[in-house]
Amino acid sequence: MSTTFAPSTTKLEKLVGKRLRRREDPRLITGTATYVEDVKLPDMHHAVIVRSPHGAADIRSIDISKAKALPGVVAVFTGADIVGVGTVPCGASLPGLRRPDHHILAQDRVYLVGHPVAVVVATDRYIAADGADLVEVEYDIKQAVTDPEKALAPGAPAVHSQWPDNVAFTFHQNGGDIDAAFAEAEVVVKQRITSQRLVPNAMETRGVVADWKTNDRSLTLYTSTQIPHLARTLLAGMLGIEENRFRLIAPEVGGGFGSKLNVYSEEALTAWVSMKIGKPVKWIESRRENFMVTIHGRGHVDYFEIAAKRDGTILGLKLKLIQDLGAFHQLLTPVIPTLSVLMMPGLYNFRNIQAEVVGTFTNCVPTDAYRGAGRPEATHGIERMVDILAAELGMDPAEIRFKNFVRPDQFPFPTATGLNYDSGDYANTFQKALDTIDYHGLRKQQAEARAAGRLMGIGISTYGEICAMGPSVATPAGGWESATVKFEPSGKVTVLTGTSPHGQGQETSFAQLTADELGVPIDDIVVLHGDTSIVQYGIGTFGSRNTAVGGAALFYALQEIKEKLKKFGAAMLKAEEVELGDGVCLNPKTGESVTVQEIAGAAYRGVVIPPGMDPGMVVTKFWEPANFTYPFGAHIIVSEVDAETGDIEIKRYVAVDDIGNQLNPLLVDGQLHGGAAQGLGQALWEQGVYDDNGQLVTGEFMDYTMPRARMMPWIESSHTCTPSPVNPLGAKGVGEAGTIGSTPAMVNSVVDALSPLGVRHIDMPLTPEKIWKLTNGRNA
Amino acid sequence: MKIAGSAKLPFAAERAYAVMQDPLVLAKAIPGCDALEKTGEDEYRLKMKMVLASLSGSFEGKVRLTDSNPPRSFRMLVEGSGKIGFMKGDGLIQIASAPDGGVDISYEGDAQIGGTMAAVGNRMIDMTARMLIKRFFEKLAAEPA
Amino acid sequence: MIANPFEYSTPATLAEALGLIADGAKPLSGGMSLIPMMKLRLASPEHLVDIARLPELNYIREENGELHIGAAVTHYDVESAPLLCGKCPLLAETAGHIGDIQVRNRGTLGGSVAHADPAADYPAALQALEAKIVLRSAAGERVVTAAEFFIDTFTTALEPGEIVTEVVVPVEPGLTGTSYQKCLQPASGFAIVGVAARVRRDGANFGAVQVGITGLTGTSYRATAVEQALVGKPATDETIRAAAAHAADGVEANSDLHASADYRTSLAVSYTTRALHSALSRSA
Repeated sequence: MSTTFAPSTTKLEKLVGKRLRRREDPRLITGTATYVEDVKLPDMHHAVIVRSPHGAADIRSIDISKAKALPGVVAVFTGADIVGVGTVPCGASLPGLRRPDHHILAQDRVYLVGHPVAVVVATDRYIAADGADLVEVEYDIKQAVTDPEKALAPGAPAVHSQWPDNVAFTFHQNGGDIDAAFAEAEVVVKQRITSQRLVPNAMETRGVVADWKTNDRSLTLYTSTQIPHLARTLLAGMLGIEENRFRLIAPEVGGGFGSKLNVYSEEALTAWVSMKIGKPVKWIESRRENFMVTIHGRGHVDYFEIAAKRDGTILGLKLKLIQDLGAFHQLLTPVIPTLSVLMMPGLYNFRNIQAEVVGTFTNCVPTDAYRGAGRPEATHGIERMVDILAAELGMDPAEIRFKNFVRPDQFPFPTATGLNYDSGDYANTFQKALDTIDYHGLRKQQAEARAAGRLMGIGISTYGEICAMGPSVATPAGGWESATVKFEPSGKVTVLTGTSPHGQGQETSFAQLTADELGVPIDDIVVLHGDTSIVQYGIGTFGSRNTAVGGAALFYALQEIKEKLKKFGAAMLKAEEVELGDGVCLNPKTGESVTVQEIAGAAYRGVVIPPGMDPGMVVTKFWEPANFTYPFGAHIIVSEVDAETGDIEIKRYVAVDDIGNQLNPLLVDGQLHGGAAQGLGQALWEQGVYDDNGQLVTGEFMDYTMPRARMMPWIESSHTCTPSPVNPLGAKGVGEAGTIGSTPAMVNSVVDALSPLGVRHIDMPLTPEKIWKLTNGRNA
Repeated sequence: MKIAGSAKLPFAAERAYAVMQDPLVLAKAIPGCDALEKTGEDEYRLKMKMVLASLSGSFEGKVRLTDSNPPRSFRMLVEGSGKIGFMKGDGLIQIASAPDGGVDISYEGDAQIGGTMAAVGNRMIDMTARMLIKRFFEKLAAEPA
Repeated sequence: MIANPFEYSTPATLAEALGLIADGAKPLSGGMSLIPMMKLRLASPEHLVDIARLPELNYIREENGELHIGAAVTHYDVESAPLLCGKCPLLAETAGHIGDIQVRNRGTLGGSVAHADPAADYPAALQALEAKIVLRSAAGERVVTAAEFFIDTFTTALEPGEIVTEVVVPVEPGLTGTSYQKCLQPASGFAIVGVAARVRRDGANFGAVQVGITGLTGTSYRATAVEQALVGKPATDETIRAAAAHAADGVEANSDLHASADYRTSLAVSYTTRALHSALSRSA
């Protein structure tokens, strides 16, 4: 074959680091994306689930006769029918963990409002809903318990009768010498700090379409999930079907925030119903159900004690963490509070800790991973405690932080909780935030405001987090990630990522990386994910891992395919040494070159196969990280409180985040802004409230205050960059940073505003009424 | 939810006590009551239809009168459930003679709401309960003395 | 989130609609409250009659010093119609506070008024404006005042078979200042408390004043104690503050997750103060 190809003359622009708009957005904003609800199969049936209206009750009887008699209803199943189906899995391996059997339909008792009791299957969703109304269930109502501290009190109703103390597990983590630290302390401050239940509320609720083909023993399951491969493995186990005959597709997923990092009873139930009736079956979660039965986040009651010297040096920290688990364990329910414990020390250089976690059953929906998953609770706790300590000592909250930061020369820094912080310069990032907002000028303004009777606050949060989940040793199902890069014979490039992006934008950022590495136009690159029959096994999307783990796997796959391109290029050019760059393989001696597209085509045609090489141009790489990454940053919020009404106004919000290197700063901004919105949501508005009988009284958007765009402040966002040494991209992860950094900054700001009134702490959310009670309508 | 309040009835204490124990009167006074059948000593089966704005739903349940201390006080328990949810109220009703010849009624108790109503109707529950109680006492007051 | 089966009619004339309603059909006028209730199966009407599409109910006109607004006029049209913005700015301002833009584009004046949600925005303004509400059934028409119309929680003067067809508000006399001030429940957008104030000056003193309050208790009301404390008094901050303290006189305040009765009462005083300040500053 000839080697007289003309070298590419137009050099492609480098894209990594550019603010490219998301390539996935046109389909999303024009309504042409395919979500589970858009999947329609021939002869598809519809399932509607009958759910318990009670927090705790014995099921006396279920009468399905009227429902079954409704024309169009094909089947009705109850707990008695689901013999042989496995229970909902939990991936936690804590010693002594009590695991209640979590059946996909209630057996003889219901444990929470929304507990599935029966499923009605009909030819049409409306008929299924009418049928569900006709299922008559008689309950013997029992006393529920929804508050974790009340659940732990002697004599409390037992959520599960076999464990009358309602304790699912206790977990201890100790580091250093806590007794010595407290003995040496010149000052000890204590505070009870809660982190309320939050309802994740992805824009798309959950949904499942199951299509069982009896003759093939094969199942295709469309489900709105963050973990297609793990969900397939676990559901195959529950259903007793063969994993190689089970195709799981996560189509467009409209947000997850951790709530879809799970395996739910409805996924198995819909599949099981399809297997029973031999037809495709669809179940779509209503928003009411989403509030009731999709996992909640947070749910902590924490008792902190911090020991320090008078000069502000922190010596040690004690924590008793009561985790409201809900009635059952979902996939990671018991693991989440242990992540809080890991991050208890924050950015501070002290090595003595003592933590006790008490996992507590309540008659509520399980808590599990929600954006930040354990770290927002930890960060809120330590950042509040540092402020409380500063107030106790009469120190400036900025000064006390500088005094206790881990120093740049201490990295890699082994923490008291056994982690190894990868890199950072905390003081530098914090100083940048202080300079941006003119901290000292603000404190002067604050003094003037106070003299004028106004309640102005400045709140600081210097947060650290643990990201890029994670080394396999620390991640229940493996913490690696996979990527395939393949040239098609025409020279177009397909990337298959084992992550499962659902809003994070990797169809864009991974294409940027691929375009730069291969010298291929970005328009020639497609990034696929979320289909277990197309994509090699992967772990999925959670824990800010897409770029730092999935991107790293892709990077290594790209390096390997570049090597292969070079080998084939050298053979085609009959050269011993070639250079690969800008999409061209060049023989530097002759100036002859071939493009990567031409090499790929030749590799498929098998015209020239270098010795020891195989034809084709496909590389798959599985990559295991050696450590987590540890992004950090400083968020500062200036607020003013209206003493008369309790209203809080955010005057300024400055965020300086260090997430290492960035593939696409526009996506980074989006992640930080969205994260800040969710963090402010927790600080100011959101709360999942159960009454004493187990009713979720914030069961809809009428009472659950989701942040709106109009409620958001302008965020002045900037960055410092200490690249992570853990992965070749130097990326640390940004999916959760905004959520973690924002909340304590907001609360610290309002507490600072009210500090002249003697206020040291306020539990979230900071509703106007709570503030009004503290100001006592002072100006009124 | 705690419920407490007061009302006036233009009756003597004995008469006030009697009307509140009279199933025929209760059937008229309980808002939306379709039927009140005696099922035992001081116990009645209740059928009611609640219509409030666009909300409408049928409830079946029971009314029980206990701790009778005529003509001073008794407890009243009302519970009902239907497609749209369930409710349960349990309260102590006390009757005190007023200087104007009538009686002052005070009531105090707990109410529970469950199901869809509880999940989406938080902002309505307090005022609705108050309105229903008000209607109840207005109907009672219209009884002959 | 799936309604029970129901019949849906779109009659061409009001007479036809009233006939269907007389037979027991439920009027639908925008559906911003009714449809969510139906989807939750908290409401299951068997027959809906869509009156929001009736041209006979969609008008805004001025007659004899009054503004007549058809029941099917959307909140957005109330908010933006030049005639209302110019001649009854209080109603237009109030409409702008309702829900969000999607709700305002679909919801109607008549639908909201007839629904009589205790936390709806319009009732405060209609009370302060001493508005007239025109009610019509197959049997005929009658007119009631706002004060007569709003009776209790979701309870109005409407008889079975009757619908709201028109709201009549005065052309605001020149020199009158008006304002609607609302403490928003951030989840639902309803009013925790909403206060509508109308103020005329009499030299350096307050002349006629009307104050309507919504959200505080089971239904909207005229805060007559506030009004009486202002009329004839010097138009000063002190007068306003002292008068607004009476905002909740004789009223049993609501309590819910977002605001206890005490807090709501305090807010009623604060927002009455704000509304009076604002109205006064807009009066000439």
